[in-house]
Amino acid sequence: MFKRQRRALVLSAFFSTIAAASVPALPFVDDEDEEAEESEEEEDDSPAWFAVRGGDVYTGTGGLLRGATILAKNGKIEEIGYDLYVPEDAVVVDATGRRVYPGLVAIDASSRVVEGTVPGPAREEALEFGDDGHDHGMEFEAEEEPELPYQLDQELFEEPEVHLLDHDEELAAAFEAAGGTLDVDAAADFLGAGADLGDEFDPFNYNLVLTLAAGITTVGQSKGVVKLKRNEIEDVVMADRKLVSLSWSSGRSKQSLREKFEGAARYVREMRTWEEEKKKNKDLPEPSRKGVDSTALKILSGEAFAKFGNSGRNDLLEIARLAQTYGFRPVFEDCIEGWTIASELGRAGAYAIVTPRTRVAKDERLQREGGSSIENAALLYDHGVQVALIPGDKSIDLMGLAGRDLMHLPIEAAFAVRGGLPEDAAIAGITSVPARLLGVDHRVGTLEVGKDCDLILTDGDLLHYETFVHVTVVEGKVVYEKDAEPYWSRIPDLAPEKAE
Amino acid sequence: MVLKLKHMSIAVAALLAIQVPASAGDALAIRVGRAETIANGSVEHAVILIEDGRISMVDQDLPVERGIPVLDRPEWTAMPGLVLAYSRAGLGGSSASIFEPQRSAAREVYPKNSVWKTLREAGVTTLGLFPAGKGVPGQAVALRTMGSTPEEMILAESAFLKASMQSDASAKKRLRDGFEEADEYEEKEQKARQKWEKDQEKKKKKKKSSKKKDDDEDEKDDNEKEDDEPKPYVAPEPDEKAVPFLRWRAGELHAVIAVRKAADYLHLLDVLSEEDVTYDLRLPIRSETDIYEVAERIAEHGCRVVLEPRTAWHPGSRQDRNVARELDEAGVEVVLIPQFDTVSSFERWLSDVGYIVKMGLDRETALRGVTLAAAGMLGLEERLGSIEPGKDANLLFFDGDPLEPASNLRAVMLEGEFVSGEVDL
Repeated sequence: MFKRQRRALVLSAFFSTIAAASVPALPFVDDEDEEAEESEEEEDDSPAWFAVRGGDVYTGTGGLLRGATILAKNGKIEEIGYDLYVPEDAVVVDATGRRVYPGLVAIDASSRVVEGTVPGPAREEALEFGDDGHDHGMEFEAEEEPELPYQLDQELFEEPEVHLLDHDEELAAAFEAAGGTLDVDAAADFLGAGADLGDEFDPFNYNLVLTLAAGITTVGQSKGVVKLKRNEIEDVVMADRKLVSLSWSSGRSKQSLREKFEGAARYVREMRTWEEEKKKNKDLPEPSRKGVDSTALKILSGEAFAKFGNSGRNDLLEIARLAQTYGFRPVFEDCIEGWTIASELGRAGAYAIVTPRTRVAKDERLQREGGSSIENAALLYDHGVQVALIPGDKSIDLMGLAGRDLMHLPIEAAFAVRGGLPEDAAIAGITSVPARLLGVDHRVGTLEVGKDCDLILTDGDLLHYETFVHVTVVEGKVVYEKDAEPYWSRIPDLAPEKAE
Repeated sequence: MVLKLKHMSIAVAALLAIQVPASAGDALAIRVGRAETIANGSVEHAVILIEDGRISMVDQDLPVERGIPVLDRPEWTAMPGLVLAYSRAGLGGSSASIFEPQRSAAREVYPKNSVWKTLREAGVTTLGLFPAGKGVPGQAVALRTMGSTPEEMILAESAFLKASMQSDASAKKRLRDGFEEADEYEEKEQKARQKWEKDQEKKKKKKKSSKKKDDDEDEKDDNEKEDDEPKPYVAPEPDEKAVPFLRWRAGELHAVIAVRKAADYLHLLDVLSEEDVTYDLRLPIRSETDIYEVAERIAEHGCRVVLEPRTAWHPGSRQDRNVARELDEAGVEVVLIPQFDTVSSFERWLSDVGYIVKMGLDRETALRGVTLAAAGMLGLEERLGSIEPGKDANLLFFDGDPLEPASNLRAVMLEGEFVSGEVDL
């Protein structure tokens, strides 16, 4: 009976949508709706409806829908459009005068964002010993531990040092230990390490709240991809890591990498031949996988992305050619001199992860162009390279030179626009492109029916430096409200003035 | 014996009926200006009658029968002895992550340790001593802070099972492993029982058939018959590490789980989602805390929370939060312990509590948090923790409000004996 009622509700939703477009909703629809609602109250698995009404929706797919409504059911976008039927029990957020963007995606973030930090010493000691209670990361650790009176369960806060390191550093250390080259199975281990990530998630930590305040709802971690949910820990890990860092530095590492790809490519070829031949000769033995690098195989099959941290023009060219030879699409992190050979990288189908504000001086001994350029992202994009954008500091940083940390992801994108990147490409660089590189573009990155209802409400152009994120929504739940948190609630809303 | 008296006339009648022993050596009445009974709020001009180490009556202006000595101290305020439910009292910690749930802190109780005297003089009459270490280090003991042998001191062995939970895979696994061991045993036990039941049935059948045979052939083999005697069922021995988890599951043991932040609690719920067990939480208050985020969820599960009487910052800010108050308002029972396990902290314990009362914590809750709630955590709430007839006469006498820093602790009574302070009868 419940099922039938629920169908009635969905149908009524459907009909009223149509009806509302032409004539006002008929009264009997309302009655039916009430009945359905009553029955739903008894049900435990009644759908959770959520709607954002009246905002200017930047879908990320090229469309701008002024004053549109987004309706979500159980965290997934059900409908986007005008005059939608919104169930009465839906949580509705009024977005009039606001812009609505998809939740931002940070391709890389400090593990502190998802794991939080261990609270510092008790406050009296914190003040006494000059620690202001904020997380200084490694810096604090480097200082000599002040001698404190023994507090019960103090040991609970003494974590093994490795926990204080970002996982990327762990990864780097692992690579270094392996002689600076990709160790086949060490990297493969990291590819499947997402399981632990959910056990470390801290949905309350203020790094996470501030990341949400920046509009970021999905972050890449060295172990996997995490959805920044609040108040809950279920299903936060979206995917295992898809990006594999490969080293292209010494002659030895280049040689070994080439050999690995060669071996994997040969194996792929042999497999194809075998599959053909098998039709005729059933007894033909399957080609041996022995000695074939599993990571290289994953890269060739598109299951993983090969990421290179190189920035020099020669290295970039070499890698682009390697990628073309073996048929994979390379990902260049930093890619500082990429702009000098943008067309070559575009031809190789490359992706680039760019930090527009990076400054590197040109090597003056060389005649050719070099060094960093504010136009890097723009030139790469013009030549067909897909560009993801990320600030230089991947954590939430409340001290030192402000403005270059994860909280300023949209500002970093704005600097790419300053260098000539079209605005929609800049927004794609902090939404859909990183989502694709993280392997979660089927769920996040744009506002489309069927995707997760992760969105942000801003009081102006996302790429404008005065703009604030007012509301952040993750999977149909409000997870951040500027006015409800202590951080920026005192800064007045600029939207009314802008509207004038 | 009549335990509760509301009217004076009844009190008098009851007193007459009680027939105080002629020697009256064991009985003592103490008249104080005010008694914080915890159980029934404050009582002005209270008279507390103590017999055989227990409180037998308490009421306002209770008439005392002639022959019973009366200690008249109208300037004093009485409250129950402090219960320090969660302590290492001078024993220090250990950062080793261990899984030794069967261990007991009882082996660390040395009656000659001077710390008991220090605690006693600071008003602590009952102590919960837990084993050191992260993970599942073992079981705590409840002690009276008096005695010349461990047996004399120990009030309850295995007062609670201590465990810690952090937001990481290994901590979650450790706790899960404990339950898995219990699962394994339960499975083994079930199999053994089924086997025993089958054997019984087989024997019954055999008996029946042999009876028939017996009818046919005369008594043939008596030996076989003797073998058929039903053997009582003997459960297999569980692994010593599984025992505490089995007892915890059966409701015979209670746990106190240390967490650092709100997220740890959610991960704990994740681990315990399949289990129906009772537990309290220990939350060390550091510079910042976010535990208020899960206050309602903690209240829902009926956990007590053990914490220090201090305020903390809202994470990433300088906004003060009185965690104890927020937990109390959400419906969580709070247990308050000294800031550190040091002598000076024991001495300023109550004035620290006074501080968070000034910061908004309900006074009754605060007093309860150092007495009855703490006794509850040790499973001793029936025996001590309040000034009620039938409870141990563990009493503190202050020359003012116990939560005022200016007040002095004038006398400490432990089970009817003055163990600290100078008292002239």
